[in-house]
Amino acid sequence: MNINAIKKEFPIFEEKIQNNDLVYLDSANSSQKPRVVIDRINEFYTKEFSNVGRSIHYLAVAATNLYESTRSSVQKYINAKDKNEIVFTKGATEALNLVANTLGQKYLKEGDEILLTELEHHSNYVPWHYLRKSKNIKINFAEINELGEIPIENIEKKITSKTKIIAINHLSNVTGAILPIKEISELAHSKGIIVVVDGCQGAPHLKIDVQDLDCDFYAISCHKMYGPTGLGILYGKKKWLEELPPYQGGGGMIKEVKKDRITYGDLPNKYEAGTMATAQVIAFDQSIKFLENIGIENIMRHEKELVEYGQEVLRKNNSVRLIGNPKNRGGVLSFTIEGVHPHDIATILDEDGVAIRAGHHCCQILHDKLEIPASARASVGVYNTKEDFDQLNDSINKCKKIFNLK
Amino acid sequence: MNLKELYQEIILEHGKNPRNLGKTDNFNKDAKGNNPLCGDNVHVYLKLNDQRKVEDISFEGSGCAISMASASIMTDLIKGKSDNEAKEIIEDFLGMIKESPELKNKILKEDDKTKLMCLSGVKQYPMRVKCATLSWHTLVSAMENNGKQVSTED
Repeated sequence: MNINAIKKEFPIFEEKIQNNDLVYLDSANSSQKPRVVIDRINEFYTKEFSNVGRSIHYLAVAATNLYESTRSSVQKYINAKDKNEIVFTKGATEALNLVANTLGQKYLKEGDEILLTELEHHSNYVPWHYLRKSKNIKINFAEINELGEIPIENIEKKITSKTKIIAINHLSNVTGAILPIKEISELAHSKGIIVVVDGCQGAPHLKIDVQDLDCDFYAISCHKMYGPTGLGILYGKKKWLEELPPYQGGGGMIKEVKKDRITYGDLPNKYEAGTMATAQVIAFDQSIKFLENIGIENIMRHEKELVEYGQEVLRKNNSVRLIGNPKNRGGVLSFTIEGVHPHDIATILDEDGVAIRAGHHCCQILHDKLEIPASARASVGVYNTKEDFDQLNDSINKCKKIFNLK
Repeated sequence: MNLKELYQEIILEHGKNPRNLGKTDNFNKDAKGNNPLCGDNVHVYLKLNDQRKVEDISFEGSGCAISMASASIMTDLIKGKSDNEAKEIIEDFLGMIKESPELKNKILKEDDKTKLMCLSGVKQYPMRVKCATLSWHTLVSAMENNGKQVSTED
């Protein structure tokens, strides 16, 4: 796997960022885009544009075919059983809101419980929180262990006879822990509990086989997956998507509209109301091809090496404290430096072209638990190299110098 | 951009050892502020006496060097001023951070103005301006005592 060649496929790395080469360690936030994806958006708007699924002219039919062909690619990429189990949304956030909202309407009743974990991103907590008020639902949190993981025992401990849904992330965007989704699904299903997975950090970095994971829903963020912004994917088992009510109403999702009644369209149209992010969907096909060409196993091996190297380098730096040390982990390294606030770290690193994230990373529950207001986070993508972590470490040392730390 | 201008010695010193940190006794006005994007929190406490003078002022909170230093310097300079003087200083500071090259008020002594101007380094860092201004906006809210929580994202 030739990283330099892969990196060349990303035009952003040809740019100078404030006179520096870009060291991009913020892929957990959003990944950079390969040229094929950028070009595809341009090409579609330039030569092929039409709305999809409505008109019957040539361009409309061709665009509809392209749009649907991405759906097939996604189906294959995550090994879904049926093409209609793939729903396009405006993001993973909308996908999770869709699930919470429709399960809330149809499936949950007062007093039911939902089990989340302390690692959840706000987008896999806030949508469920709405049900506290509207449905009087109780939310429980499975706790992290000292390594920043959620062992299955900690999930099992919090399951009660009232637990109806377990909503969990696949890979933590703060500690990097990979959750045992397959085992959790098995446990949950043995008790008749639905499993909803926030796969934002999982899908770009792990091999995803939804049939093997056996979760009921899996939400994907395309912009973290070398794809365009404004696009997410909801995988849902067909029986659920068929049974649950529509989420948003509008054009494209109906069968028949009369003054006194409305019937809804079949899957997946039922959940795709209004004009969708057409160009983004069509360009996302290129993101999947890009990932397939490199091979997810190769990407996983590369990112594992990177994160091991990153840990080694940062552990040698006596001022850096890494957050969590999960045994099974992805390419996310969160840290603090005693005496330097993460925002000051991020500003100083930025001066060297090192892009990281500082803050609570939309995980306030976790930061409260760790009793820190914020952390700094370096996260990898397929284009990162070991040298990026050397530069990160050099810039951290510059931080320490500015703040007079030893 | 210039990190040396942003992280001047005085900022680092105030950031490390903030003055007037804690909850002052007998405060009669207070307000909370937060920056939801980064999780910075500040709580400003104020004792305004019958002569409308700031008898005591303090703050609680956590944040970056810039936000802690700004709150520290602010409380130092506002203590002992009348509410009208305080309002003029606040307006002057916020104007300076926003656009004005210098401080115009005639209330502060020159060395106090120099201290305050140390925060002008944030002007080159648009994402960090809010770190410097959060405690000042929170002070305004405390003085008005409108019970409104200040957010950098309102």
